[in-house]
Amino acid sequence: MELWAIIPELILAGLALALVPVAGWARGRWQAVPGIVAAFGFLAAIVMTARMLSWTTPFPIFEGTYAIDGFSTVFKLILELGGLVTVLVAHSYFRGHSALAHAPIAILLSTLGGIGLTSALDLGMIVLFLQLLSLASYLLVALVRGDKLGNEATMKYFIYAATALAIMAYGLTFLYGLTGSLELRTIGAALPAADPVWIFVAFALFLIGYAFEITVVPFHFWAPDVYAGATAPIAGYLSVVPKVAAFAGLLRILLLALPGGLANWPTIIAILAVATMFLGNLAALRQTRLKRLLAYSSIAQAGYLLMAVAVADRVPAALGAIAYYLTAYLFMNLGAFVVIAQIERGTGTDHIASLRGLGRTAPWPAAVLVLSLLSLAGIPPLAGFIGKIFLLSATIEGGLLWLAIIGIINMTVALYYYIAPAAQIYFPAPDRQLHLARGFGYQLSLALTLLGTLFLGILPAPIMTITRHVGELLR
Amino acid sequence: MLNLAIFLPLLTALIVLTLPSSKPALIRWTALAGAAATLIVSTILWLGFDPAGVAMQWRTTVEWVPSIGASYDVGVGGLSLPLITLTALLLTLVMIHVLPMRERVKGHAFLFLLMATGLIGLFAARDLLLFYLFFEIGLVPMYFIIGIWGHEERRYAAIKFFLYTRAGSLAMLLSFLGLYLAMTPHTFSLDAIIVAQPLAGKPVAAGLALLGMLIGFGVKLPTFPLHNWLPDAHVEAPTEGSVMLAGIQLKMGAYGLIAVMLPTLPQAARTYGWWMLALGVVSLIYGALAALAQRDFKRLVAYTSVNHMGYILIAVAVAALAAESSVRQLALNGALLQAISHGLLTGGMFFLAGILQSKTGTREMARFGGLMSKAPLSSALLGVLAFASLGLPGFSGFVAEFQVVGATLSISVWAAVFIVLGLVITTGLYLRILVSMVMGEPPADSPKLSDLSGLELTAVAPLAVLSLVIGVLPFVILPIIENGTRLLAELRF
Repeated sequence: MELWAIIPELILAGLALALVPVAGWARGRWQAVPGIVAAFGFLAAIVMTARMLSWTTPFPIFEGTYAIDGFSTVFKLILELGGLVTVLVAHSYFRGHSALAHAPIAILLSTLGGIGLTSALDLGMIVLFLQLLSLASYLLVALVRGDKLGNEATMKYFIYAATALAIMAYGLTFLYGLTGSLELRTIGAALPAADPVWIFVAFALFLIGYAFEITVVPFHFWAPDVYAGATAPIAGYLSVVPKVAAFAGLLRILLLALPGGLANWPTIIAILAVATMFLGNLAALRQTRLKRLLAYSSIAQAGYLLMAVAVADRVPAALGAIAYYLTAYLFMNLGAFVVIAQIERGTGTDHIASLRGLGRTAPWPAAVLVLSLLSLAGIPPLAGFIGKIFLLSATIEGGLLWLAIIGIINMTVALYYYIAPAAQIYFPAPDRQLHLARGFGYQLSLALTLLGTLFLGILPAPIMTITRHVGELLR
Repeated sequence: MLNLAIFLPLLTALIVLTLPSSKPALIRWTALAGAAATLIVSTILWLGFDPAGVAMQWRTTVEWVPSIGASYDVGVGGLSLPLITLTALLLTLVMIHVLPMRERVKGHAFLFLLMATGLIGLFAARDLLLFYLFFEIGLVPMYFIIGIWGHEERRYAAIKFFLYTRAGSLAMLLSFLGLYLAMTPHTFSLDAIIVAQPLAGKPVAAGLALLGMLIGFGVKLPTFPLHNWLPDAHVEAPTEGSVMLAGIQLKMGAYGLIAVMLPTLPQAARTYGWWMLALGVVSLIYGALAALAQRDFKRLVAYTSVNHMGYILIAVAVAALAAESSVRQLALNGALLQAISHGLLTGGMFFLAGILQSKTGTREMARFGGLMSKAPLSSALLGVLAFASLGLPGFSGFVAEFQVVGATLSISVWAAVFIVLGLVITTGLYLRILVSMVMGEPPADSPKLSDLSGLELTAVAPLAVLSLVIGVLPFVILPIIENGTRLLAELRF
């Protein structure tokens, strides 16, 4: 048993199991304990994962079902960071709420599912980890009971996810049927000899599961309702962790099981990228609530990333671009959601109109929110700018200039809705006091996301030395 | 020293952030000190500049993103030095002008200083990615400046400004990426790209790259038909905002056309030279006619910018089309001098327009009549600036426009005829300003007004004086400009 290679997974799983009885027993201020323990758990997992970056030779473990390579290590780091920030925000947001003790456990489990997905080499493992990721996510959405919007969000999320994942599992069985193997690399070796029609059917079906998690149009429609119904920290988590994990899983299955662009997947992904970008951006233009706005924004952001996925088998730099952009996306998107969590907890609403005069009453959260939005819009010298440069450059290098131009057009459209909240924050003279929720967890996560957004934009080189390990994919 | 000039404003901006909001005077004076220090540093750059030098001077190169071949690479040449100095000068004058301001000063000072870092960095950047980065740092603060401190329609104007310029800069970014990917190994280094001419044998790709840059720089310049944002932005911006916008931000487009587009895509520029020439002539005539139709003084000055910037596009087109390098150099000298001259004169015009508006509460020219009797100092300055703007010999505008017309004559007589026609219209335009605003009897309902205060005079007068100095003694600046245009004129077109 190569347990030494999955120490981060063991930490998260062990903590999740150990914390279940603690959360049930904890009363009063002890309810904060699981969150604090989980935060340190994530920190430990990050350290242990970062140590694995130096293992430059990829190798499979557990009879070839689980890959230990730079590819999974980089994505694991992103996922663990996402979990860490969410646990920190939840620590302040859920204070005095019954979810305070339970949310960290679900976050641990769901992140664990995502981490497993980045490494899974076996069809059974893929389904297993995707289910773990989703099941724990339902829990997170369902944590706020008695709220009509929240209940609706939970039901919607559950039914859509269950259907999408079932269809996906069905699609994966085709791969087994065509090749007689559950292992991605063996499938990749045998699949080119199979009937292209059936390959396409399998691809189209299993794509739905990933497309659901990534919020690819037309499988995106759950996201705005679920984000709006979930609490802000959870909405932030859902917009980052499942998406990152599904991108890693999708890239691995496409590159390993469908080598050489089988089933024309680069073209299909490119078309989906166009649809996703346009729909996300156009729909975001009309939103008046921040969580819905960011939901559509995150759909559009997934579209930008899909541009690079479409050239991932041709351009070596594409994987690095995706990993860098996802890291940037983690910081800027979570940065925005932290401030939204403060606003939501303080005022009970996430209307853009409620931002009026925020620049006066709370200059620091206001600055983080504006910088995060500007970064999402791709304005230098922020993280999203360098990230978009990498994505566009990879897309053009892959010969898809038309796709890059469509991407640029979309980034232009997107400017409008990213800058509109900034106008609310700074332009009108403040006519009333706006009360933001305060707390240590907010401050810590604000600082963390702000630093990330600035650092990745101004000095990209250090993070790039980490994200370029993503190219070490076990083939 | 150059790095100091770039980052001194940013440093001051960060210092301003740490000062308490309860002491606005302290913040104002700190910002002014930072601006003045930047002006001193840029004067040192000017004095230490060797006009005979061939390479970029005050050069610093540090690796920034090595894996994609982008570096922090800055240096000054003859094209950028005058614009850097102009930026520092206008920043200082603006900071003098706003000294009495006491409301929300912290953000105000921060944004102006941040913008100055973007602008100076842009003119110094020798790396396309760095250029783009500074381009945006120069632009984004202006959105907030218009939106927070502007007049009635500020939100509309701010959003329009932002969307136009950002859409343009994204098109420009695509062109930069095209150049970057055509280089082996991939690099954003401007000098390496100019030497290698990566798109020389690829007319389609080069044409697309040219189009992207024309859109990006054309929005900023602005040229017809991309000028639509300009009147709103200028009119709604606060005085100090319009001064920076007209004085320096429009020159980002001019500098980009001359120092980035022309040397990286000379052959494509020649192929589409006639189109650019036509566009420039249309802008020039259109700007003049549109200005003639205005009754709002600030809006009128805004439209004259479209007219004056038309010369720059014409000069770029002439430089691309001309066969002899002497004609090219003449055209480019004229273009750069026009950029400087317009920065001084229109900067001054917007100062005056803003001061008059704040004193009287109106921008309607008809309501001002007989300014001479009430405010002789303002009238005199307005007269000087108007005569300088219409191209009267002895002022900087004349030297610039004369060179452009001269160079154009050797390419196309018709284009030169149209330019002269434009000159006639603008002459009428400026005379009309003088007649309706300065001379005659004041109308019965004309607003009360006091003349310029010492502070206001300090902000405006240096601009008029400098324009006169350049007009009478062009050799104070021409050798430096020629240092930049000489290299450009020798390119293979």
